[in-house]
Amino acid sequence: MAKQYDVLFRLLLLGDSGVGKTCLLCRFTDNEFHPSHISTIGVDFKMKTLEIDGIKVRIQIWDTAGQERYQTITKQYYRRAQGIFLVYDITSERSFQHIMKWASDVDEYAPDKVQKILVGNKSDEEQKRQVATAQGNKLAKAYGMDFFETSAFTNHNITESFTRLAELVLQANKKDLDVLRVSINDKLNLAALEEEEGVCDSSSDAQKTCWC
Amino acid sequence: MDQSVAIQETLDDGENCLIAVQCLLLLDNGTESRLLGLVEHIKEHALFMFMHRRMAITGSDVTLQKIIPISYDFSVVEVSSPEELAVVGADTRLRVTFLNEEIEFKLPFGSHTRLFLSEVNRAWCDVCEQYPKSPKFDWLTKYQKSAKEPGSLPSIAASTGKIAKRERSHSADTRGHKEDKHTNSSTDKARGEGAHENSQERVKGEGRNELVRLSTHTVSNKAQMLTMPQFGLRDTLIKCELLKNEDAYTYIENFSFFLGTYNVNGQTPKESLRSWLGCTPQPPDLYCIGFQELDLSKEVFFFNDTPKEQEWMKAVSEGLHSDAKYALVKLVRLVGIMLLFYVKKEHAEHISDMEAETVGTGIMGRMGNKGAVAVRFRFHNSDVCVVNAHLAAHVEEYERRNQDYRDICSRMLFRQLDPTLSPLTIMKHSIVLWLGDLNYRISDLEVDHVKDLIMKKDFETLHNHDQLKRQMDEEAVFVDFLEGEIEFQPTYKYDMGSDKWDTSEKCRVPAWCDRILWKGKNITQRHYRSHMTLRTSDHKPVSSLLEIGIKVVNEESYKRTLEDIVRSLDKLENECIPSVCLSKSEFHFKDVKFMQHRAETLTLHNDGQVPCKFEFIKKLDEPAYCKPWLTANPSRGFLAQGDSVDIDLELFVNRSTAPELNSGQQQLEDILILHLERGKDFFISISGSYLSSCFGSSIHTLCQLKEPIQDMPLETIRELSLMATSETNSPDTEKALDIPKELWMMVDHLYRNASKQEDLFQQPGLRSEFEEIRDCLDTGMPDTLPGSNHSVAEALLLFLDALPEPVIPFSFYQQCLECYFTSGQCKMIISMLPQCHKNVFNYVTAFLRELLKNSAHNRLDVNILATVFAALLIRSPTKQDIMEKRKTQEFFQHFLVQETH
Repeated sequence: MAKQYDVLFRLLLLGDSGVGKTCLLCRFTDNEFHPSHISTIGVDFKMKTLEIDGIKVRIQIWDTAGQERYQTITKQYYRRAQGIFLVYDITSERSFQHIMKWASDVDEYAPDKVQKILVGNKSDEEQKRQVATAQGNKLAKAYGMDFFETSAFTNHNITESFTRLAELVLQANKKDLDVLRVSINDKLNLAALEEEEGVCDSSSDAQKTCWC
Repeated sequence: MDQSVAIQETLDDGENCLIAVQCLLLLDNGTESRLLGLVEHIKEHALFMFMHRRMAITGSDVTLQKIIPISYDFSVVEVSSPEELAVVGADTRLRVTFLNEEIEFKLPFGSHTRLFLSEVNRAWCDVCEQYPKSPKFDWLTKYQKSAKEPGSLPSIAASTGKIAKRERSHSADTRGHKEDKHTNSSTDKARGEGAHENSQERVKGEGRNELVRLSTHTVSNKAQMLTMPQFGLRDTLIKCELLKNEDAYTYIENFSFFLGTYNVNGQTPKESLRSWLGCTPQPPDLYCIGFQELDLSKEVFFFNDTPKEQEWMKAVSEGLHSDAKYALVKLVRLVGIMLLFYVKKEHAEHISDMEAETVGTGIMGRMGNKGAVAVRFRFHNSDVCVVNAHLAAHVEEYERRNQDYRDICSRMLFRQLDPTLSPLTIMKHSIVLWLGDLNYRISDLEVDHVKDLIMKKDFETLHNHDQLKRQMDEEAVFVDFLEGEIEFQPTYKYDMGSDKWDTSEKCRVPAWCDRILWKGKNITQRHYRSHMTLRTSDHKPVSSLLEIGIKVVNEESYKRTLEDIVRSLDKLENECIPSVCLSKSEFHFKDVKFMQHRAETLTLHNDGQVPCKFEFIKKLDEPAYCKPWLTANPSRGFLAQGDSVDIDLELFVNRSTAPELNSGQQQLEDILILHLERGKDFFISISGSYLSSCFGSSIHTLCQLKEPIQDMPLETIRELSLMATSETNSPDTEKALDIPKELWMMVDHLYRNASKQEDLFQQPGLRSEFEEIRDCLDTGMPDTLPGSNHSVAEALLLFLDALPEPVIPFSFYQQCLECYFTSGQCKMIISMLPQCHKNVFNYVTAFLRELLKNSAHNRLDVNILATVFAALLIRSPTKQDIMEKRKTQEFFQHFLVQETH
């Protein structure tokens, strides 16, 4: 059996302040929802393990401050991302219009191979909707991105959108992955295990004695 | 002003003054100003303490008083006295101990002091790093005579063997505590202790940095390990958790295992085995069939190769229950001991982790004429081990058989899929099925008696004489194994081809040699019998049908359990991401003034589950983590769980940052990134309002301002300063002042009040008075300048020093150097200056010449004034060396002496 291996990559949540980036992350990783809005002041992250096509994928999801005054600073985090969520709020026309600015920043600062998807959050607030699904679709199409309308509140399309972006990143990095498959250094794992579990029994199978 | 230059002038070649700080020496009856310099000479360091005139500018301004060599016995302790509790921005009080002396200083609050202390700290660490090499301080002896206090260098060499404890506690830690006594006693104590303490002490000495480095090795619990990139541990944890929660996703389902054992005495199969293997009404799910003495030839013994293997396997395959299709999963053989493992076709996919092993216990305890073969496999979610053993023969050898059993148990090792795991023994399996010719006999009974009991079918009496039963009762062998009730006659020894007891000379006592035992939960025996109709061997085959409860996986709940485990591991990991909480994330400094220290405290509290390292990190494309007018102290560090640290955010606008703030080109605005290693980043917003000041404003701008600068709209100042850069000397500055009124106010004040003031420009002023003077100049209130003459004099010097463009603009500097020796040319240069600069120059020199007229009172001379003012009026755009400095002084002297003769 092949050695177990994992893939780790970073996804970044971008979008205006208040569109629900932190809520999306909380719903996805902890399955929790906190309705009150506390501005993220800084850059936070959480880990999540997914299995995609039999590959264990560990993703580090970075949640960024959306407030305008921090935007010059958050840009320096783009280059470390392999995947980016561009998030707007379907009840805010303004946040949708800003997607273009976010996208052009991504083009400028993120790596070329970065995968993007468009997410229209708060799909549960239908009565306050300002951005039609068709508009989202159209914009996503123009940028060649996948599009999801999500709701962190009702847990609608959350896992789907995260998994989709992870899949895209996985596909885009398929080549590197195959290299990884061959060159994975399991010595490191071994050492960690022995230290941790104290499992290294003194008897070894090299001592097997069979005279026949 | 960098006073290390003045100290440098007093030093020899190869000695460098790294940094200097002006401070107050604490005496019994008050304080006196001193200059402290850190001097280095080939990796040895000493603190030089100087008495000094005013702000020391040249070597002649300072007088060496004391040298404090930095050796092992040196220590610097920051102390806070009770009356100065918790005053942010208070001066730093320092106790320096060396040899048997103790000196206390007060250092001005601020980043320069911090820098000085960190340099001293580093020098001390250098000494310790070189241990056991002691610093010799030979280079200091020449100063011994010149130092004003004789004997300030008593026996340096004697001191170097000792080590002093350093308790350099940060103000953040000591603030609010009365620590004087504590630090005192520990310092004393440490001084008496030996050199072996060195390494320990160093950890303390280097303090925070050392801890930071160590922290990467303190990972101790599983949760922290999880966050490490070695993913193997995660997999193991998942496996463990899956095993723990097995009940949640498995259910027990019964499967029938047909077990058979047959000692064939080296014969080839002659009859169908169906009556043995196919005796059950329903086809069993699995077959485990063991043979012994498959081949008794020498060839098989030496080469382990026999045609009988195929023959018997074929016979078995043909004899299996006819109502089902079976797949041979494994055949394993050691000489004459063979085990065949079949499963019903539909179960094959649920067999995994299949391994087979053999152990010889025969001749020399190793050969394969006796011993065991075994297979292990996982059926659905249960681990099963099947052993076929042939133990030592002969009636009296039951101890030997026990030993064979133990040898098999200890030596039968199955390697695991994961090569990092230790191999599995038989007993590690939850289900063990053990069959074979175990060779235990019936003892203590005569042959005839045995046969009589068999005739009467009194198997119970007979069984009480069975060696295996006895040994098991004594727990000497097969502990925890079970065997079904024996209701068949002994299977050994018959005349071949018959059902007659052995008629040979030996006339063996009949015995239940061939047995089937099991160990494990959820196992029921359906039958246990011999098969008399088979007559090929001197043994009869035995079979047992077991119904075994196997753990079968419910795919859906398995998936759910796995997801739960992964989620909880993720959660654990997320909880172990370093985390701190901040007392505040926005800081506003209101009405910041020029050269005014402002500080706010940011408290970090580690509310996470792991220790963390924090650090302010640079933003992209910026040279430092913050703007030049700001510092964070400490800017990096280590924080244990539950601990807190206070970070001082210090704001100080000096002459290099003031101009752009005055003109409104820059604002007091910054965002700091506080980074936690392996954790999140915080953004900390700093903002402030700066009150424009004449200090740090250009001559040109000030000449345009008829009102105090703070009465002007910021926009006006901004426009004026932009104009200053574009059109110097413009003719339409119709109503411009000749010189800045602020300059006039100060000079006029000194002219009228301080012409005869003793030591003018040589005594330092008071900080508090400077602040009043600054406010007066910037707001126009009150009408006259407050403060002593010395304070006004210092304000004047600071004013000139803070000019963004010096009185002699940078562009003229080179020319000044070229013609400093010719009075005429020097004056020529002055005549070419922009009008307002020229005015200022002439005004200041005129004032100074007035002062010189009173030199009898104020004790000023051309030399002193040239030294002080040349450095301010004629500044180099780059770093100035001593030669250049002298030239500028000579340049300036021409203007002081010209009209005196």
